[in-house]
Amino acid sequence: MSPWSRVLRIEPACRWGLTLLFAAWLAGCSGSSGNPGSTACASGCVTPSSILTQDDIRRVIAQAVGEAQARNAKATIAVVDRVGNVLAVYQMTGARDKFDISSGRHVGFAGGLDGLADTLPSTLAAIAKAVTGAYLSSEGNAFSTRTASQIVQENFNPGESQQPSGPLYGVQFSQLSCSDVIRNSDMHGSVGPKRSPLGLSADPGGLPLYKSGTVVGGIGVIADGVYGLDLDISDIDQDLDELIAVAGTSGFAAPTDIRGDRITADGRTFRYVDSESLKSDPTKAAALASLPGALVAVAGYTPASVSAGTAFGTPASGIRKDTGVFASIGGYVLVDAANNNRFPPRDATEGPLRASDVQTILTEGYKIAIRARGQIRRPLGSFAEVSLSVVDTNGDLLGFVRTPDAPVFGIDVAVQKGRSVLFFSHPLGGSELLAVPPAIYLAEAPPGRTVTSSIGDYVGAMRTFLGDPKALTGNIAWAARGIGNIHRPTFPDGIADTPAGPLSKSFDTWSPFNVGLQLDLVYNQLVKAAAAGDTTEGCSGRASLLAPAGTPDGGIRRLRNGLQIFAGGVPIYRNGVLAGAVGISGDGIDQDDMIAFLGLANAARILNNGIANAPAAMRDDNLAPMGTRLRYVQCPQAPFNDSSEQNVCAGI
Amino acid sequence: MVAALAAMPAFAQEGLKPAVNEDRKLPPDLAPAEVPLRRPGDSKPVEFFPPAADPKQVPGPLPATPRESVPLPDRWRIMQALGFKFPLVDPYNQNILKGDIPIGDDPWLKEKFPLLAKVFQDEWFSNVGIISDSLAEFRRLPTPVAPQTSIRAQSDDLFGQGKQYTLSQTVIVSLALIKGNTTFRPPDYEFRFVPAFNVNYSHVEENRALRVDPREGISRTDNHVGVQEWFADMHLRNVSDRFDFDSLRVGIQPFISDFRGFVFQDVPVGIRLFGTRDNNQWQYNLGLFRRLEKDTNSGLNDLNTIPRRDYVIVGNLFRQDFPMPGFTSQGTVITNINREGHTRDFYNSNGLLERPAVFGDVRGHDYNVTYLGYSGDGHLGRWNLSTSLYAAIGHDERNPMSGKPADIRAGFAAAELSRDFSWVRVRLNALFQSGDKDPFDGKSTGFDAILENPQFAGADTSFFIRQGVPLVGGGGVALSGRNGVLASLRSSKDQGQSNFVNPGLMLLGVGADADLKPELRVIGNVSYLRFQDTTILGVLRNQLPPNRELGWDVSAAVQYRPFMTQNVILNASAAALIPGKGLKQLYDEDNRGPQYSILVNLLLTY
Repeated sequence: MSPWSRVLRIEPACRWGLTLLFAAWLAGCSGSSGNPGSTACASGCVTPSSILTQDDIRRVIAQAVGEAQARNAKATIAVVDRVGNVLAVYQMTGARDKFDISSGRHVGFAGGLDGLADTLPSTLAAIAKAVTGAYLSSEGNAFSTRTASQIVQENFNPGESQQPSGPLYGVQFSQLSCSDVIRNSDMHGSVGPKRSPLGLSADPGGLPLYKSGTVVGGIGVIADGVYGLDLDISDIDQDLDELIAVAGTSGFAAPTDIRGDRITADGRTFRYVDSESLKSDPTKAAALASLPGALVAVAGYTPASVSAGTAFGTPASGIRKDTGVFASIGGYVLVDAANNNRFPPRDATEGPLRASDVQTILTEGYKIAIRARGQIRRPLGSFAEVSLSVVDTNGDLLGFVRTPDAPVFGIDVAVQKGRSVLFFSHPLGGSELLAVPPAIYLAEAPPGRTVTSSIGDYVGAMRTFLGDPKALTGNIAWAARGIGNIHRPTFPDGIADTPAGPLSKSFDTWSPFNVGLQLDLVYNQLVKAAAAGDTTEGCSGRASLLAPAGTPDGGIRRLRNGLQIFAGGVPIYRNGVLAGAVGISGDGIDQDDMIAFLGLANAARILNNGIANAPAAMRDDNLAPMGTRLRYVQCPQAPFNDSSEQNVCAGI
Repeated sequence: MVAALAAMPAFAQEGLKPAVNEDRKLPPDLAPAEVPLRRPGDSKPVEFFPPAADPKQVPGPLPATPRESVPLPDRWRIMQALGFKFPLVDPYNQNILKGDIPIGDDPWLKEKFPLLAKVFQDEWFSNVGIISDSLAEFRRLPTPVAPQTSIRAQSDDLFGQGKQYTLSQTVIVSLALIKGNTTFRPPDYEFRFVPAFNVNYSHVEENRALRVDPREGISRTDNHVGVQEWFADMHLRNVSDRFDFDSLRVGIQPFISDFRGFVFQDVPVGIRLFGTRDNNQWQYNLGLFRRLEKDTNSGLNDLNTIPRRDYVIVGNLFRQDFPMPGFTSQGTVITNINREGHTRDFYNSNGLLERPAVFGDVRGHDYNVTYLGYSGDGHLGRWNLSTSLYAAIGHDERNPMSGKPADIRAGFAAAELSRDFSWVRVRLNALFQSGDKDPFDGKSTGFDAILENPQFAGADTSFFIRQGVPLVGGGGVALSGRNGVLASLRSSKDQGQSNFVNPGLMLLGVGADADLKPELRVIGNVSYLRFQDTTILGVLRNQLPPNRELGWDVSAAVQYRPFMTQNVILNASAAALIPGKGLKQLYDEDNRGPQYSILVNLLLTY
């Protein structure tokens, strides 16, 4: 370095531009530029000691209570670990026992869960919010329930006219107590991922907790009594729940560089928290024991005590590095309390897929993932971290693998997506929907009159909409993106003053708490679990608490953890016949699509046994109801970190 | 000499005709003596010695006697009185519509509208101009498939088919009323009204590339009537005997910040005080403008919408022959005050969000920015130089990417050095736009203009200046605006707010203009383009910041003026952007061939 360069602090790379000093100034060459790509944690920072200790948990709660006191609020606070174990629930004296679900779009009860007032215990809302903060986050991204609110509404961004729906539209109905993938009872010990009583939450006030750059859990707060979402994201809210949660995260806050507000989708940053203007000083929080309130027991979730969290990635967390067929690629798997892989590749119980097929499909998907440009992660250049699943034609999970740091929510969602495309592409899809009992809503409108929603009606609506009486009989290969296209409150997606898609509620009653078929399918069992503690497996098509005796309660096996309606799943065909499905979740939806679609295409080439993507002529993008063509998959721009290839899914 | 005179036509037989050869002037009939000539002011008298009279010359005319004089309405109609008549459609000869003849004394007007004639009786002139601008444009741009529906089955990637074309017809009518007298004295009043009428049609290959609602398909017809000028100009006073003046212009008026339109070239509404000093050696402008909303697809002023809450305060000073003869220097201070941060979201006529831009948290923000500039234009010996340097200093209430207030500290430099070799002019172009290094800090160091319209490096015949390339899937933010050179990541040049968090740009280019024939000019340009810092591109795409190399912009154009006038001009140009590493990391360059731009443009002027 020349003396002048030293004096001027000029980077060597910029020096050639120094023909004119002025030009160099304009070129912005200086030696002291910040590095926006740096994070507190490069990757793989989780260690067996990355846990929330009991003291940590008491401190988090005490800090939150301190802020609530400063704001004269009475809060219910839950703390969970990264895999959803509820570590403590605390209720301040005078806190409201029950809460109201309201999207803010309607007055009173509008259908589904929207408007369900004063029915469910506040502790469940706090747990759902804490789980959401933990489940959506990773070492590469910190998302909050406010982030969730931004990405599950009818437009993205919410309020931006004519824009398509949020990329994770529908994710709120996952992690349900009735899921077979999610762990839901005490007998599983600390093994996760654990259920969320209300699915994922979009109500600000749920945040992840970090230690040394790695997610160790989440905090959820409800103090305002309303479990809702943020309809207007252009303003800066002073949200009571969120401010209390922010105080709670003091000392455990997400690294600034990986928060949602530094991560973009289509040029838009995500919301993380709106305001951090605290009225208390969390560092001076009093001891928990001295504060007005008590730890409370929540049946099926936690005793009235504080338990330490589990270390993510260890067998105790239910997620660990594979020692089997995915060990060579570095995959992680789900294990049971005895540390056995719950879903190693196996032969199908129904259909032609063999264990070796499953292994190849998952491996090829995994290889795509670790090359793929992560859409929701920092530092820039991180790969897409996802959960990958393959199901057979019966909906049985034939194999599961995940990248080390994929957000936990994607475990259940990946399987939901695979089952959803399988079910829609299956010859029996329509008849099974027609056979299940209706959803019976818990709220009454007017009081004394129950409202039901027929599942079978969606079949008729869909067949009319598509102009195809044979729809849902196996004649069309549905991808998750295509299902999503017709499960939106407007069609085409996001365009105002258009009719709702046939699987959606009409726009005047619609809300993220009343979406249509997706919620109606699982409504009965969701409420049975939340209100009556029923933890039986099987989410879809179950009988209601309020159903007359003798109502069939078998449910729909192929959708046993619920329907999912955003992109990231494709059906598997063998010689033109449905053979199963791939479901991917955890990163951007274009990435999820690519990992499913391109991974399967690559596996097909290797297997060379007839297993492949659906024949192009059967795919849902041949349908153009009302002149608007449906989509099948969309692979991302700049798909790979290690090359400048583009359009990698063309012609498959 | 006698023979030559004898050969001249006999006027008496053929009527009055203009002199056959105006160069053959006859010397004045004066005795050889010193004739003192003096310009107004304190200049030295010029000494002029008339040459000795040729004794063989024809004697000069005799003084007219009263009975021989013909009564004339005014001195501009002498030619008419002598029998010259030209149709109104002929702009080349004396024409009442072209300001050649005062309107108040027009016999037809006097007869039909005597009151109007009285109003305009003193030195009022009209000037009517009509320009027809026809454009056909063919291009290939990265075009995303609509997220919710595609045109074709198996559209399985984000990028779709990118061939597009646009046809556009604009008619601009310029109506001016001028009160004035001679060539040297500036007009006392001028009133001008310039409506523009546009019809345009575009065709693309993907849904939603033209309008936000994919049901509207892949073609679009739009039209607009805009008002491009509508002002009154009052000559306030003369400040010297050489007609240095102060003048005030109020209304919708054109303004250009510098010689090449780098920072602000617009037709805003406003008040401008301008004038000259010291025999036109100094010129100044003081202006206060409010920007008008633009029509999205024609780019014309839109008077149906409330003017933008965006104000421009300008002060500039030109000095001729400074620092050396033949070179004009200009110093400028422009302040742009934007107060659109707390108004309702503004969508353009295609339904896309313009303000706030789809960038970062998409929350509104106000900003103030002051541009300090130096520009120069002229020649240094045989070299021609045109240059601009700007520093932008200001404050952004909230940078939408960082979510924090930000100080704006950005710079810009551009220079064109050229030299004429007989009928060829060879040009060297260089342009630097500073870029932003860290989108999340409290400092925005990417340069952006208020409303640029750069006449530089091939201007609209080059690809990068002509075309707007969408950066992110929804097309809400463009890499660079249409008809703009800055890589400024705005929602649009015409309707968006300025954005100082951008990758910046370096352009180095060579070009040549060859006047092959008086009616035919061929223009070629090759420019190398490079970003200054691609961090923000990486953040917006959530990908590793791409390589800084944007690519090579190669363009060629022909300008054909069949009558060697500006009245009929046919322009045609073709340009391609040969992608560099950075561009390939952003777009599907290798899959569909380079982005290109082909323009055919016919300009007819009356």
